Formats: sequence, structure tokens, C-alpha cells
Amino acid sequence: MVLGFKQETFRDDYTYCNSPREIKRFPFPFAEDRYMYSVNIEPHGKGKEGSVFEFALDIDEHYVAECIDKEITLEQDPGRYESLSHMMDAQWDFVELSMESLARDYPEHFSLKKNGLQWTWENKPLGIKDTFTFGDASTLAMDPFEYMGRQAQGDFVLLDQRDETLYADAGFVTTQADWSLAFNVGMSWKEWHGPVPRVTELGVMDRALKYLLNLQLGSPVRRLNWTMTINPRLDTSPESFPRWGSDRNTVNADNVGDRVHLRVELQSLFRLPRSNAIMFGVRCYLISLNEIATYPRWAKRLHRVLKDLHPDLIEYKGMTKFHPTVVEWLANFDDGVILELGTQPE
Amino acid sequence: MNMINIKVAAIEQVTPLVKHFTFVNKDGTALPAFSGGSHVVVSLDINGRVHRNPYSLMGSPEDTSAYHISVRKQEKSRGGSEYMHENVAVGMQFKITYPVNLFSLAKKGRKHILIAGGIGITPFMSQIADLKRTGADYELHYAFRSPEHGAFVSELEQGCGTKFHCYTDSNGERLNLDELLSQQPLGTHVYVCGPNSMVVAVLEKARNFGWPENHIHSEQFLAPPIGEPFKMQLARSNKEILVPAEMSMLEAIEAAGVEADFLCRGGVCGRCELQVLETDGALMHNDHFLTDAEKASCKKIMPCVSRAKCERLVLDI
Amino acid sequence: MERGYWIRSKPVYTSLMWQEKATSHLVVAQGSGGMAVLKIFQQMHPKQPITVLYAPSSDSIVDYASTLKKVVPEGLQLFDSVQEMLTTLKEILPTMYMGMRVYVAGSEGFIWTIAESAKEFGIEDIDMIKELTGTLARSIYCVHCKAITHNITTNIGKCAGCERMLFVRDHFSRRLGAYMGLMVDAESPGQLPEIEEIYP
Repeated sequence: MVLGFKQETFRDDYTYCNSPREIKRFPFPFAEDRYMYSVNIEPHGKGKEGSVFEFALDIDEHYVAECIDKEITLEQDPGRYESLSHMMDAQWDFVELSMESLARDYPEHFSLKKNGLQWTWENKPLGIKDTFTFGDASTLAMDPFEYMGRQAQGDFVLLDQRDETLYADAGFVTTQADWSLAFNVGMSWKEWHGPVPRVTELGVMDRALKYLLNLQLGSPVRRLNWTMTINPRLDTSPESFPRWGSDRNTVNADNVGDRVHLRVELQSLFRLPRSNAIMFGVRCYLISLNEIATYPRWAKRLHRVLKDLHPDLIEYKGMTKFHPTVVEWLANFDDGVILELGTQPE
Repeated sequence: MNMINIKVAAIEQVTPLVKHFTFVNKDGTALPAFSGGSHVVVSLDINGRVHRNPYSLMGSPEDTSAYHISVRKQEKSRGGSEYMHENVAVGMQFKITYPVNLFSLAKKGRKHILIAGGIGITPFMSQIADLKRTGADYELHYAFRSPEHGAFVSELEQGCGTKFHCYTDSNGERLNLDELLSQQPLGTHVYVCGPNSMVVAVLEKARNFGWPENHIHSEQFLAPPIGEPFKMQLARSNKEILVPAEMSMLEAIEAAGVEADFLCRGGVCGRCELQVLETDGALMHNDHFLTDAEKASCKKIMPCVSRAKCERLVLDI
Repeated sequence: MERGYWIRSKPVYTSLMWQEKATSHLVVAQGSGGMAVLKIFQQMHPKQPITVLYAPSSDSIVDYASTLKKVVPEGLQLFDSVQEMLTTLKEILPTMYMGMRVYVAGSEGFIWTIAESAKEFGIEDIDMIKELTGTLARSIYCVHCKAITHNITTNIGKCAGCERMLFVRDHFSRRLGAYMGLMVDAESPGQLPEIEEIYP
């Protein structure tokens, strides 16, 4: 499939928006009227054609613009990429996984040619073509993980497995929902899930860890997570909080549909072969409330979910200031009709 | 569960009791890379009954053209190792799982002491390839019964040089754990794989010297023990089935057509854990996974290696 | 409805207790941590070799050096500063064997300075026995400019790097030895909550 890549921005003038095709394939996360925090892990197998689950790594019309935005974020703050020294095997595992899946799933845009350990990678949308020796970091201009982290949408964290837990020992994180890689790198599973509301807890994190420790090569899994962001901003990091924090005060009844975005993370987890590490991918999808409302079913469902959200979750997701405005606006779309289970738009 | 179809490419008699099997991908493509210490579970259809046994991968993790395993012929074989020795021939095809690593090297370790007994040498063969590739500091200590049972000794002598130490029991050579474990630099990790007595001795010695738990690693796959037959009820599947003397609970569940999760099938990983809803007798826990408190609670069981002695056992599957 | 937060990144400190299974013991303390060392020697004198390193601290009025000289039977080394102590520590550690147990007592900043040095030699912080003494003062990592400001005793502190007013989050990084500091008035510039001493 040939994708047309848009020119748009995720900062300053915020020209980002979704085409009707992109809205229709948006990974809307709410199957029922009530949101309960859960592990909700499922196999990350080949999904429906055209869906965001179709391929291991999803790219869409925003690919080029997102990669440019990543570059800007990284230039302002090189600490968005970190890798502890024992993670080099995992870095190459990431290179293999990302290059192989992109070249296999989007052959019009990417190609990978292997001649033994001499690999030639071509990324047509970004105009990149390099030949390097797999396993020899000196043959690339930067760390292998950073090299491919810049060429895939979303964030990536490489988790080292030891002492019956997982450690976030490397990361490429530029599109995060308010967590800091520079601060969290090297933390164990329990530590980086440090400050979470008790309501999300209930043993969920322990069960998820137990499951992931046995994650198998060749059987990746995924889950959806969500929050809300003002403006289509990818870089909602604590680092840049002074730049976007005050946006939360700007929401009013007139601009809420345009400004407030549902931010959905498609989180995927792959066991990596050489390092026995786990790749944790966080692919971020942004959609404005106006765009959501083009499908009344979604607007009704979102209204019901947000209306009854636990106060601790409202606070945890940073929605305290604009939550009432959003619920009020969405109420206009909700006629109270019973909605069947499921996340489909219509 | 995703499986790989493989073909037996070569078989070599390494010692009187050990055979080395080389597997290649059935379709001729590369096999997935893996990490040192990984194993695969081999599925064998023996007279209509599926046997699934874990074996460590011995080759270099970088060589994806073939996988290598070694099988020791067990005296009290439930059929698996005997079948591998007597019936498996070059060209035969099986299914294996993707590699799983429950015995990985500590990447941050500053030195690695590997201790093998007999067939326990196998996971170290792939670990050594990783250690050599990364230039890590290590020592390999390998003990076996008598010279003819020292599998892969000349290969290891050649590959590891002065880092290799072997101990032939019949020559009166013994590994001195006191000496070995009392004078290792900070940041050293110890790994042991071999007979139960050896594993217990190493764990106990390291702990008594004050080695932190996370610096002590062992792998010991258990074969499901043979026991008395007993009946069990599978609540969610609404089935009552018999576990014969020579079959594990997990195998009996699978034979009844009920799909169950599994990974190592040796009582190590915890993946096949089942909730016990009801029982009127004793659970015979044989795994290394559940804590003593969990075992005592009679609420959980690892069906890959454990059994029960009771009239009534109801499982949540 | 269940309420409240779990902070699972925050280290848990205990009291120093001899670990009986050991090949040797290394006790490291600063300032008020000297009292913890005196207490552990009241428990017993272990049979394995012992090394004790002690440096005074400006925030502790009492210097335990002279009392330690009377109580510690062997292996006591006294220093004028933590810097000197670290130099010696880095000389000692390469000569030590697995089975050496490490005990640290002092301020949180001191504990994690020692942990950082020990890590280079393969000792992980979870394997050290740590006692927090004297002060609850925190080191704060500014997430915006990456500077670390020490000895913060209030809920909000000024970053020594970028001078932003930082809210001290209850989220701790062992690698940095510091809590996360986040600009407190980013949402509403100039609006500062009341500053209170809560980590005396």
C-alpha cells in the first residue's frame, strides 16, 4: 500500500489533523461505557487489513511529520535517547525487528538487503540509504537503537530481564505522556510504575509483570492505554512541561472540540532474540474531539466513560482542569441510547 | 502457541549415553537467533501420544542456520529420551517451540563462574559463545563420572583454553567449592546446571558465603515423575479425566483435547500454573516455581511436573 | 472507592543489622550515621574481618569519630571528608571478595553517593543494608535542566541550575540518587503554593 505522507506540525501552529481514512482506523479504546483499569493484554498478531493492528509496527499518513518532530525534540534535549552499556545486543535486536518488519510490511517505502552481515537499509520517505555491518556499531553514524528509533513512529523502551523483573535500561522517548526517560532509565518494573493511583493497582501490575517475564519469542502482545492532551502535541514530556503545561488552562466551550485530543497509546511488547530483552513500543495516536464526533457512537461512548471516571484517574491523567468542559461538550452528542459492546466507529 | 517446524539434519553419538542432534528449519530458511542459556521444547508423537521435552540449545546463538541439542538417555525414561536415542533418524521432522531463556547470563556481571555436571554442560555451550563474543571474564568448571562420559571435552578445551577446568570423578578429581566460591571478585555471578546434589551444594555454599541471591543462578529441568494414577476434574472444560502413572497432569489435560498454557514443562517458568478449586487429598508439588507458602496453601499447582494423591481434584481449566 | 497513591520507587531504609552469612563486612557512615555504627557494634562483633569507614558531616553537630575509636575493635578508618572516603573506598573494593556485606548509614544523599561508587564494582544497592539517619533532606533532580540540587527540606525548592521553583515528587531514581523535581507553576505561571518544611 502506498501512503501519502502529510506535511504538518505537532507544535507551535499545530497543523496536525487526521484524514477521514485515518479517523476511521483510529484505535478507539473504549468497548464499554465504563472504564476500568486493567491489563487487557492480547496477542499482537496480524490484525484486520487497514487497521492499526495489521502490522508489527504501524506507520500512517503522519509518518514523515512525526519523524521530523522527533528530530526537533531530540535536538532540544538529547536525553530523550538513553542506553545503558549492557544493552548493545538489545539495540541490534531492535534494528533487526524494525528493519525487517517495515521492509516486509511496507515494501513501497522501505527495503532491506542482506549480504551476510552487510546490510543495506533504504528508507524512501525520509531519503535515507545506508550500508552497515550488523553487530558492529561503528559502521553506523549513531547508536543502532537511536538510528532506527528516529525512523519509526512512537516511543521504544528496551527492557532487560534479570532478577525476576524487567529493567527499563534503554529508551527512545519523544512522544510520551508525561514520563521522563532520563529520570526513569535503569528503573525496575516496580520503580517506574512508582507513582500510580491505588485504583489502577489491585495487583494488576504484579500480574502483568509475571505474564511478561514469560513473554515468548515469536508471540508479541499488545494493549491500549489512553489519556487526553491539549493540542496535537507529541512531546508532552515532563522535561518540556513549562512549554505545554499552561495549555490546560486555555480550554473553553468554544475551542474544546478543536483543542482537546484523545491520546491513545498502542503498546506492544516483543521478546527479543539475542538479548532476551523485551521491546516495549508505545505508538501514540492523537484525535481531536471534533474528529471523534464525526462518529456519533464514539462521542456518546467517550462521554459516558469520562463522566464516571474515578477522580484519582482524572488527576493522574492530568485532566482535572478541563475535564468538566469536555464532559459538558460531549453531553450534547449523547442521547442516552444503549450502545452495544465494542470499539467500532459505527 | 507458535511453533517452528524442523528437520533432523545430523545425529552424532557423543558419549555412550549422549547423542547430539542438529536441527534445521524445514523450509530451509534461517532459524530465529537466541540468547545463551535458551532451550526449546521438542514435541514427539510416540505411538499416538505427544511427548514434549525441554532441551538446551548448544550451538552459537549467532549461528541461525541450525539448532543443536544433546540428549542423555535416561535410565528411567518415560519414553522421550529413549525415543530420541532409538527412533529418531536424520530427515525426520518435528515441531519445536521458539527458544525460551530461563537461564540467561547476567549482562551486568563482572565475572561469570559456570559449573556443570554431566549433561548439565549443554546450556553453557551457548552461554560460552555469548561470553566469548562480548569478551566477558569467565571460568567453566565441568565435572563428569569418567573419561568416556565427558561430552564435548576436547571442543571445550580448544575453545576455552585456560578458562576450562574439568574434573573426572573416576580419577578422584573433585571440584573444591570452598576454594572456588570464597575468593571471587565483587560482581561475580555463579551458574550451575547438573544433578540435583550438585545444584544444591553450589546454592548452599554460595549462600553461606554471603553471595546475594541475584548472583546465584541455576537451571534444573525436572522430568515429570512417575506416580500413582489419579482422577481429576477440569471445571471449565467440564471433563473428568484420568492421569495415568506415566503421564503428567499437563500431558493428560492435553491428551483430553483441552488447551493449556505451557513454556518449559520442567517446573521452572510458572506458565502452566493452574488454580485448584477443590481437593480432598494431598498435592505433590515437584516444581521449583511456587513458594513454600503457595505449595502449602493447596490453591495452585504446576501440572507439568506435579501430581496429586486424592479422590477428588477440581482444576480451574 | 479506593484512594491514595502507591510510591513503589521510594527506597525503604532499615536499621543496620549484621548479616551472619558473609566473608567480610564493610561499614560506611557519615555524620549522624556514626550512631548507627555504634548501635550495630552493640549487637555483637562478627567473626569475619570488618572494615569501618567514617567521615563527619556539616549537618550533624555530633562527630562520632572519637567514640568509634573506642568501640570499633579493628579496621576503623577516619576521614575528614566524604571525598577522601570515596578515594579509599575505590581502593578497597577491588581487593574484596564476593560475600562481603556492605552497610551504609547517613543522609539519603550520602547513602546514594556510596551506592553509586559501589555499583562500579558490581555491588547493587539492593544488596546493601542502608540506614537513614539525621535528616530527611532530599536531593532533587530538575527534570527540565537535569541539575541536581541537594539538601532540600521543603515541599518546593529552587533548582540550583535553572532557578525554577520545583515541586518535589515522591518518585525516586536510584541511578541519580534523587527525587524528581517538576516546575511547580508551569500550568499557572507565578502561582506558588505555600512553601513548607516537610523533610527536616
